[in-house]
Amino acid sequence: MLEIKDLHVKIAEEGREILKGLTLTIPKGEVHAIMGPNGSGKSTLAYVLAGRDDYEVTSGDILWNGESILEMDPEERAAKGVFLAFQYPMEIPGVAGLTFLRTAANAVRKARGQEEMSTPDFMKFIREKAAKLNIDMEMLKRPVNVGFSGGEKKRSEILQMETLEPTLCVLDETDSGLDIDALKVVAAGVNGMRSPERSMLVITHYQRLLNYIVPDKVHVMVAGKIQKSGGAELAEELEKSGYAEYQGQAA
Amino acid sequence: MQDNNIASKNDTGGTGVEQLRPMTAPARLAVAAEKRASNVAALKTKAEQALTQTFEEVGDRLPGSAGVRQLREDAIGRFETLGLPHRRIESWKYTDLRNVLKVALPPAQSAARAVSASELEAALGPLAKVDAMRLVFVDGAYAEELSDLKDCETLAVAALGAELENDAAAADLLRLDAGTDDAMLALNTAYVSDGAVVGIARQAKLDRPLMIVSVRASAEPQFVFTRNAISVGDGAEATILEAFVALPGAAAESQSSAVTELGVGDGARVDHLRCATDNGKALQLSNWVVSVGAGATYRAFQFTAEVGLARNQLDVAFRGEESKIDLSGAYLARANQHVDTTLVVDHAVPACVSRELFKGVLGGESRGVFQGKVIVRPDAQKTDGKQMAQVLMLSPNAEFDSKPELEIFADDVVCGHGSTSVDIDEDLLFYCRSRGIPEAEARVLLVESFIGEALEKVEHEDVREAMTALARTWLNEAAAEV
Repeated sequence: MLEIKDLHVKIAEEGREILKGLTLTIPKGEVHAIMGPNGSGKSTLAYVLAGRDDYEVTSGDILWNGESILEMDPEERAAKGVFLAFQYPMEIPGVAGLTFLRTAANAVRKARGQEEMSTPDFMKFIREKAAKLNIDMEMLKRPVNVGFSGGEKKRSEILQMETLEPTLCVLDETDSGLDIDALKVVAAGVNGMRSPERSMLVITHYQRLLNYIVPDKVHVMVAGKIQKSGGAELAEELEKSGYAEYQGQAA
Repeated sequence: MQDNNIASKNDTGGTGVEQLRPMTAPARLAVAAEKRASNVAALKTKAEQALTQTFEEVGDRLPGSAGVRQLREDAIGRFETLGLPHRRIESWKYTDLRNVLKVALPPAQSAARAVSASELEAALGPLAKVDAMRLVFVDGAYAEELSDLKDCETLAVAALGAELENDAAAADLLRLDAGTDDAMLALNTAYVSDGAVVGIARQAKLDRPLMIVSVRASAEPQFVFTRNAISVGDGAEATILEAFVALPGAAAESQSSAVTELGVGDGARVDHLRCATDNGKALQLSNWVVSVGAGATYRAFQFTAEVGLARNQLDVAFRGEESKIDLSGAYLARANQHVDTTLVVDHAVPACVSRELFKGVLGGESRGVFQGKVIVRPDAQKTDGKQMAQVLMLSPNAEFDSKPELEIFADDVVCGHGSTSVDIDEDLLFYCRSRGIPEAEARVLLVESFIGEALEKVEHEDVREAMTALARTWLNEAAAEV
């Protein structure tokens, strides 16, 4: 279970406060969506969950399965099961996709006290997962994300997620830059990972993604706070009315 | 113990590589005073004197006919006049060899230590997995029993040492430096003991790389001089890999001069690779002199790791139009190692394309040097040249000197160059760590990414993988030091 308690966060360098008392709980096995306009702090929340040090938590706490993760390094959080699918997956020239996946998989396995996978086992494991995401193995011999289309990058991101077997998946604007076919593939990948053991947080601008990944709960985030929470139907309301009423509220 | 340089800061037993740092002002004055006080002969350093005197002792034992002997004597005469190159010679500005090479090790003699096949495999490390025809030289002498040249009817191969006995052929094999003022080329001509003489037939397509291996085995410190003369026929395709390795028991101090003269025929395609690794102290002088015919493709790549001082000189001239060359490399240096890449690309004819990408990783107090001269002659219109030299510093005490030189005498050309020192990208570091990769490991991975961009230039997959493996081992060792 993820518990975010009255979280205040500012940008370390400029001191501007982005999250202003955010409270959110995602029980085990549930998929929650956060929707909000640009600049509401959605991506900041995603980065803070993953442990990026450009942000400073000034008060509040984040508990993952009852344990505060605020003092943990990003790699420790990954080992504890936290995974962030980036809005803009990064390119790593000169490092083959398979090498990267294997390095990451073995690092988290080691940290979780599991044995490293043998090369044949790992290849079999990746081949199956890649096939489901329409990822060609040749693509994985190329450097990570270099020269990939927007859709390829997002699928590669989901493949990383499946490879690391996280228990908390945070998807930051996973639908941005995707055409409808790519969106369906990505959503199928995410839905395939839904399980009673896993919590998911889907961050999005638009309701479209939520037609394919149907959330248990939807939260409206404006000005660094959750302004309203509801069921999946809240997303449809927002699609019609927009964020105007919440923005008024926040001001 | 011979040490004639009073400015020397550290002592490596008087041989091999010493730290390359500018002398302090008082030291310079002291040297000048010493020079003024001595006669002309004493202006030569002890190493220079030794290199000329040794020739009188060993000259008779070096392979070759009377004609070759004459060429060698002419060459040592040129060397005597020129002396060791030093920092006031522009092309050696950042690698003051006269100051570094304090003691010339004795030239390698023909009685090489026997090396077993398993010792060779171990020394080759990841390169042993490259399926290649092999020509092996141990301490500068051809080792037939370690060489493997079956299935190569399109290839004519001979050992230079034996060829030099034949007057007619020999004259051409050693003519390279005649008329130049390259002291180290002259020294190589004087002392060269062996090397590969390779002729690849017109239109021949070599299905496996030709690997020319130089193994350093002797426990005695010595100066090894080798030279390869390679001719690739019109329309032929070949991958040629020069590998330099050392056995674990080889002498701690070593010096070598390896020259390769390569002619690329019209329409030919040559991938010319160099992979040099040693014990971290070796002094290696490498000199490639290449001429490229019309409509040809020449791709050179040089990998250097754990060499004390590497001077990698590349001299490539276009002899025919519509040709393409790519000269690239990756080097890794730490402690007080020094890697100097000095290249000259001569666009002597129109419509040719040249690309250069050199990437270095510098740790400790190491120093990287890049000098890239591109000459575009008056009628070499439609020339397209681009050059890039990049380093990643692992330590604030490392140093990088870069000197691109474009000499353009034609007006319809596209030429560019760049040189940068880069840092680990913090966003990428976070990306890797968010995937569970611990910070230290992520840093190694990102340095590998940096150097990997250069290694991607190596088209032969097995060779690229071997070099990548060597780089990874080096990076893990370097990371463990920090």
